[in-house]
Formats: sequence, structure tokens, C-alpha cells
Amino acid sequence: MLWFERQVVRALAQDADPGQLAAIETYVDGALRAMPEHIRLGVAAESVALGGWSKVDGLRRRSGGAAPGPRLGPLESSPIGPVRQYVRLIKSLVIFAQHEQPEPSA
Amino acid sequence: MTTIETEMLVIGSGAGGAVTAAMLAEAGHDVTIVEEGPHIEPGTMEPFSLEEMVTKYRHQGGSAALGNPPVAYAEGRCVGGSTEINSGLWHRLPAHFATEWQRRFRIDEFTPEALDGYAESVEQVLSVSRLPGAPPASSAVLENGATKLGWRSVEFTRAFRYDTGEGVKQTMGRTFLPRATAAGATIVADCRVQKLLRSGDRIIGVKASRTRPEGGTEPVTIMADHVFVCGGAIQSPALLQRSGIRRNIGNGLKLHPTIKIAARMPYALDHGDVAMHRVTEFSPDLAIGGSVGRRGHVALALAESGNEAGNDEALADWERFGIYYAAIRSEGSGRVLAVPGVASPVVTYRLTEGDMSKLTRGLVHLGELLLAAGATELYPSVVKGEVVRSTDELVQWWGSVTRARTNLMTIHITSSIRMGEARDLTGTDSYGAVWGLENLRVNDASLVPDAPGINPQATIMSIAARNTAQFLAGR
Repeated sequence: MLWFERQVVRALAQDADPGQLAAIETYVDGALRAMPEHIRLGVAAESVALGGWSKVDGLRRRSGGAAPGPRLGPLESSPIGPVRQYVRLIKSLVIFAQHEQPEPSA
Repeated sequence: MTTIETEMLVIGSGAGGAVTAAMLAEAGHDVTIVEEGPHIEPGTMEPFSLEEMVTKYRHQGGSAALGNPPVAYAEGRCVGGSTEINSGLWHRLPAHFATEWQRRFRIDEFTPEALDGYAESVEQVLSVSRLPGAPPASSAVLENGATKLGWRSVEFTRAFRYDTGEGVKQTMGRTFLPRATAAGATIVADCRVQKLLRSGDRIIGVKASRTRPEGGTEPVTIMADHVFVCGGAIQSPALLQRSGIRRNIGNGLKLHPTIKIAARMPYALDHGDVAMHRVTEFSPDLAIGGSVGRRGHVALALAESGNEAGNDEALADWERFGIYYAAIRSEGSGRVLAVPGVASPVVTYRLTEGDMSKLTRGLVHLGELLLAAGATELYPSVVKGEVVRSTDELVQWWGSVTRARTNLMTIHITSSIRMGEARDLTGTDSYGAVWGLENLRVNDASLVPDAPGINPQATIMSIAARNTAQFLAGR
């Protein structure tokens, strides 16, 4: 999983405890690795591009005192289809993992 | 390097491959079945669970046909193929499609009566039957809604046995594959066929790669007198293209694009199975049915809706939710393209404006039906889609099914090679023999000439049985 992908997962699963978060990250990482190569390549390219945008955006916002981490709202409502689909894809993986991972055994 | 010699090589162990292999083996032939995915003992995984998705689905379920909008699709990748992950619903090919396809693609001996005969023989092996007793609540929702609206609905038969009390899906791993091995066939699992080996107008074998149990892979060559490609409508054309066979291979792909609604009912629903009722009022262009609705599926549906503020409350009530769908018989079509050096083929699909219109109509009809059945809230699979609570509010959906906002998926994938004597349209003859090659046959969903508008498993298996019988009769 690339740096920005992990940032997006953590932003989406911010309510998860460390154990759940690790399980979600493992699942998302596996799902991204298992994708058809051409789709994974497209997702990775977007991750690099959006990661760059996020860093610049983060620096600008931190100078104004805002919280760190990627802002997903603008990406989800982006006029660019692949950008919206990028967030939708990772969000669906996170949500599915959050609700379908087996409970850790006691 | 391991070399295997066999008389009949069947590539793929799903609905097409398992029938082919069993019939060949029972006729006394030496048969080897190669399956790319692993062998999973039937009954050892919870159906529709995350574990099943990771283990039995190709790409862990992360496949999509590229297009605007993209269409997510699922394929099985394990011994038994997609029959191990589907709902087991069974519907014979409607007679008018057999007649229409026979004429349009010039398919010999493709009469409804002939296909029904093969369907009947397959049905006996699969114990195709109806659920004994009353349907579960999730399925009764469809029946009740249809009754209230005066729409036609049917309880579909399924490839299920009920003699042990609980219904057991009769997958290929439980039926035709054990028959094949009992008749002497060998199954080689975890073995991906990379390329067909050709000499003149004959296929002499295949080059493959087998995953070792201890890790790593080993090259395998399988020499065969006859090769049957049964990898499904995505993998079969990709293998043929990788082997230099391209004429009418990979085009004409058909899907049943599906749009969904998560419906909140005033009572708890069952969540471990798929509804067996279907609303056939608008068939074959539009079918309405039920999908699996586990907590994760409900959470996904709620997250897409325009009701973010109420999602936590709704999710806490997830056991009252069911997931229902409207599937269309698409006018559009797609392509499968093997890219040199890349394992996964690129799949594309183009939905027409007519398809988008049908999907909108399907969503609204599905909403009407669910409200008539007593649903209190409807969440459509449309990004920021309006949550609907009454029939008056359904009007909001007419403008919401746009290419940018709709989320589509399918599990029905067919027609990427097509059979028949109309050589300008087809990749094989009337029985799956690939044009220009003496001993290469395709025998799976790829051959189905067009989208059947119903669950295609019965059509795929009937055609596979028909073609194998013709092969055996001709020898």
C-alpha cells in the first residue's frame, strides 16, 4: 500500500482501535495487491498524484492551524470521475473490512 | 519442469468445464482438468463471507469492466469456479432466445426442445428443486410486493439439495467434479495455463505454471490430443488471444448490469442466503431480485447514500435491511483484451443511453415494489442518492441515475466468443470448435450468443452438455 493510500485508509477508519485498524490496513493492502494489474497501476498513479496534492494542501492548511491528514471531501465531490472513483474504491474496501472482519478471538 | 500427458485436457473447472470433464471421463476417456485457483473443501467456508471473497474470488472480487460508468464484476477462481460463489439459482433458457439465436448466429441443432433435454439431464445431477416450505422473509418481500402491485413473480428453482434439513448448494465441487474423478479424471489445482501450444492447425498442449504448496511456482507442460477451454467469458478469450487466436475472440461481451437498493423493513430479515423469488413483470429486459445482504453490504449501501447524518442509526438497525436489485438486459457490449506481458486481461464495457434509461426505470420499479412490500426506507446504489420513504418521493430518482453517480455490478458475464455458423459473428462453430483449429474447443459462458436476461448457469451447462455429447458422438 502506498503512503497516500494508507493516509486515506486511516482518515476513513479514524474511529477504529489499533487492532481493527491493523486488520483493515492488511485487508486493503491485500485487496489492492490482488487487483488486475492495469487497475492497480491506475490506482497507484492516482495515489502518487493525489499524495502530492495532499502534501501541498496540508502545508497550506497547517499554516492556518488546521488538522493534519488528507481532506477527502473535495476528492469525493471532485468533477474528475477517476478522482471520485478513487475515494469510493478505498472507502468501500475500508467499510467492508470494518463490518465483515471476524471479531478477534478473546 | 513437469510434463503431463493426457488425452483430453479441460481448462477450467466451473459450470462448463466440470460438465465437459465428467461426460468425457464417463465415456472412458483419459481426462485432466486444470484449474487456476485452489481446491477448497466444500462447506468449509461461510457463504458470501470476507474469507470466501479473499479465497475463492478472482482478484478478491476487485474486478471491473472499464467504461463510463465502470461495472464491477465477480468471477470464481477455485475448483468449481463461479458455481462455488454464486446463488445457485436455476432458470432454463427461454425458448424464444434459443429460436432467435439459432436464426441470428445460424446455430445447428439449437432448438428449445434439444436444449431442454440437456438441461433436464444436468438438473438431475444438481438436484434442481424448489425450497420446501415457505420462503424466507427476504424472498417473501419480493413476492408480497409483486402481489400487491399485480406484477408477475416466480420462485426460481435452485441447484440445492434439502434432504439433510438445511439447503446445500450443489456446486461443481459437490456434483460433476466428483463424478469426473470417480470416472478416472485428474484435477490439477493451482495451475494457471499461460498459453496454448500450436503446431499447424492443431493444439498439441499447453504451457502452464503451478503454485507449489510450499510456495513458489514451477513450469508445467501438458500435452493433449484434445483441448477444451472452459475458463469463463473473461479468461477463455484472454487465453486464446495470448495464444495468437483472435478472430471474433473477445468482442461481443455481454453483462447484466445491476443497480441496487438497501431496503429497511419493519422486521428483521434473514441474511445468509439469496432470495429465490424474482419479479418477472418486465422480463427479459429487466429482472428484479434479491442479493446477499450481510452487514458489510448494508454498510456499503448506506455509505453511498445522501443520508450521511442518519447512517449510524440505520446501520445499528442493519438486521432489518435487505439488498435488492434490478438487472437489465443491456443493449451495449464490451471487449476482453489480453495485453502482452500482463496476466489480467483488460475488460471494457459500453453502456448505451438506452441502458442508462433501463437502469433508471429498474431502480424506480424496484423502489415501488419494495415500498408496496412494506419497506420504510430505501437507499439506492447511487452516490448521494436521495433516501426515499414513500412512492411520492420516487420521482427524485428519475434524474439521479447518471453515469457519474451510479454504482453498477454484475455476476453474469457471457458472449465473448459466441458460437454458430455465421462466421462473421462467431469464434467457433455450432458446437464450440474454434474456427481453423482441428482439436480446440471452447465450452463455457463465452459461447452463449447473447445476454439471456436470466441467471445464465442453466444455459451454460445445457450448452456444455450438448456440445460434449456432439463431440462424443462424432468420434
